Amino acid sequence: MSPRLRLALALVALAAGLVNLALALRVGDAGPRPLAYLLVAIVGVSWSFVAAGLLAWSRRPENRTGALMVAVGLAFALPGLRLIGTPLSTTLDLLLVTLPAAVLAHLIAVFPDGRATTRLQRVFLVANYATTVPLALVQLLLVDPGLLGCAECPDDLLGTGGPHPYGEAVVALSNLWQVVLAGLLLWIVVTRWRQAALPRRRSLAPVAQVAVVLLVLFIVRQTLRSAMSSLPPWIDVGLDLAVLTTLMLWPLGFLVGLARTRLDRSAVGDLAIELDQAWSPGRLEQALARVLHDPTVQLVYWLPDRQAFVDAAGRPVELPPEGGDRAVTVLRHDGDTAAALVHDAALGDEPELVQAVAATARLAIENQRLQAEVRAQLEEVRASRARIVAFGDAERRRVERNLHDGAQQRLVNLSLTLGIARSQPAAASDGELTAALDEAADELRLALAELRELARGIHPVILSEAGLGPALAALAERSPIPATVVAAPPDRLPARVEETAYYVASEALANAAKHAQATAVTISARRCDRGLVVEIGDDGAGGADANGSGLRGLADRVAAIDGRLEVRSPAGEGTWITAELPCGS
Amino acid sequence: MRVMIADDAVLFREGLAKVLQAAGIQVAAQVSDGEQLLDRVRADPPAAVVVDIRMPPTHTREGLEAAQRIRADHPQVGVLVLSQYVEPHHAVQLLQDGAGGVGYLLKDRVADVHEVVDAVRRVAAGGSVIDPEVVAQLVGRRRTRDPIQELSERERQVLALMAEGRSNQAIGERLFLSPKTVEAHVHSIFTRLGLHAAPDDHRRVLAVLAFLRA
Repeated sequence: MSPRLRLALALVALAAGLVNLALALRVGDAGPRPLAYLLVAIVGVSWSFVAAGLLAWSRRPENRTGALMVAVGLAFALPGLRLIGTPLSTTLDLLLVTLPAAVLAHLIAVFPDGRATTRLQRVFLVANYATTVPLALVQLLLVDPGLLGCAECPDDLLGTGGPHPYGEAVVALSNLWQVVLAGLLLWIVVTRWRQAALPRRRSLAPVAQVAVVLLVLFIVRQTLRSAMSSLPPWIDVGLDLAVLTTLMLWPLGFLVGLARTRLDRSAVGDLAIELDQAWSPGRLEQALARVLHDPTVQLVYWLPDRQAFVDAAGRPVELPPEGGDRAVTVLRHDGDTAAALVHDAALGDEPELVQAVAATARLAIENQRLQAEVRAQLEEVRASRARIVAFGDAERRRVERNLHDGAQQRLVNLSLTLGIARSQPAAASDGELTAALDEAADELRLALAELRELARGIHPVILSEAGLGPALAALAERSPIPATVVAAPPDRLPARVEETAYYVASEALANAAKHAQATAVTISARRCDRGLVVEIGDDGAGGADANGSGLRGLADRVAAIDGRLEVRSPAGEGTWITAELPCGS
Repeated sequence: MRVMIADDAVLFREGLAKVLQAAGIQVAAQVSDGEQLLDRVRADPPAAVVVDIRMPPTHTREGLEAAQRIRADHPQVGVLVLSQYVEPHHAVQLLQDGAGGVGYLLKDRVADVHEVVDAVRRVAAGGSVIDPEVVAQLVGRRRTRDPIQELSERERQVLALMAEGRSNQAIGERLFLSPKTVEAHVHSIFTRLGLHAAPDDHRRVLAVLAFLRA
């Protein structure tokens, strides 16, 4: 809307109001219903609606609410027609007497969208306008103006001129219809309030409250007027005044709603201060939810590598579909998608607020996005490390199995054949042959023993077959320095836990034998809340380097199943290696 | 004497059968897994069975389980378990279940035909057979305070042969000692190690192994 049109509308409203006031002054206090006094209030209503409407119109040109408010304001300039006192003006007045209420009802029905979105709203709008003018026309034709509160009016151009037999019935019918329409409107307002999510209620509240008071007052007034043939003037005029005062408050309520948005924007300043503090992903989301007055706000981050949105923990997030009750505001950084706010669709009423919040939190969001990206990558690396270790373990089992079924089995068969050959009488009688066969058997035994050691080093069968306890016992029995297993779980644990625990024990034992000059080692494996704690302690020289390649490798191996390795090795006090291994899936 | 052989390695199974038959032992059945062996034993119990420890379907400890079932259901059937690895853990598990008639040998032992035939005959007769490698591993185990080091060379030899499941008579034959001398050595060993004399050879093996593993 151009500023010129705004100025013109403002001037029209101002002029119409002034004319109304001038007419009121000329007539003074005349008749049982002092329209002149009421006119002052009516002009107030007119001006307040036009002013607030023009403001809303300029702020949200795409929303028809502003235009509708201006229309209501201008319609409320019409009642002055009655005081002009010519047949033409009286005719127009009686024809248009219900128009201000109809336009107002339209505004209330479609607030705050400015357009009808539900079937109920559309039905109401049609009923509202389709009956306004015909009803007025019927009244004009059949009803004595006196019954319409205009005893002193001159005859209109179309009227019958005197009392008509159906006059009172028509007036009663008209009142009843207005009560029905008001009731329907009340239903619309209450329903919309109940269905609105928190952010929408905030913008709806001031206006909806005033509308409810107004409609209840209106229904009371019309019911009283229909029920009693003549109301005491103080009640009659008092009700009119109450309705008009409430009406004047309506644009005020609207302005409060607008101001709230402004206040929200100033809350963005507080957000900037809050952002200065240390940030955890959850708190950033909470702060955004507080400023936007939408506790359901979810902040998701764009990962260009994956072409997907993830939450703060790096888990993939599916965005809600368009047109639902959840809306998405994409936040950009240097033109590229950086993150998105998933929020209540009602926040779409305040795009500036969402954008202001997003701009303020941009750095924090970008920071969180990078963190989410790192977390997602870490998660990936962690999973891939676990996969590599699991693959390595499976591969070792496979190699051991191949050795057992292949080379070892062939050598065993060879032993058997050799044994049969040696037991032949022909061989026993030939000293040289016996010696050669014995030598071959000895070589074969050594080869098999070496192969057994090799296979055991690749994968100790006792571990997968009998469990950690027997495997640790076997480890201790074969240890080059005295080793005791002081505790071992009696039950079986997940294979990766058993294999890692065994690996830790066997490496620690080898270290103790090689470097620590230890004379005794203890091995313990105990269940704990989270899983298994393996501890290997020796009485050696201590001073082990936890960052040396051996212990570093152990720590890596333990970390691959999300475990933790601790090495205590004070010089001269032995070495204690503790691994905490989670058993959860 | 009738025996049954269970091993999924066909060449080995048949070679072993040949060796046993050459020694005058009748091979009543050759099967490739534990279930078949149990069926055949149930149908017509032999004097002894020879079982490979790793057999289908999982190739882990089927032979050991079949051996334990047979010991429980048919105590009169001797069981000799063969394996490409020997673990003291398995040896003790086998011995714990019954009163003799079990053996646990490295498969390599077939290089000495007489040793295998001897082991089959011993388990069939209710004796115990433990592979020398198991015993060597346990006797050679490093200990903080090692009472075995206090034994004489000869006593250590006697201890090892006891652990392998040999009777006093067999020990005497092996070491060319009189039964009286063997008895004196055994008594001395038990006293030095703080063990109680066992009522029979089988329980003697268990007691010695338990001591060595502790």
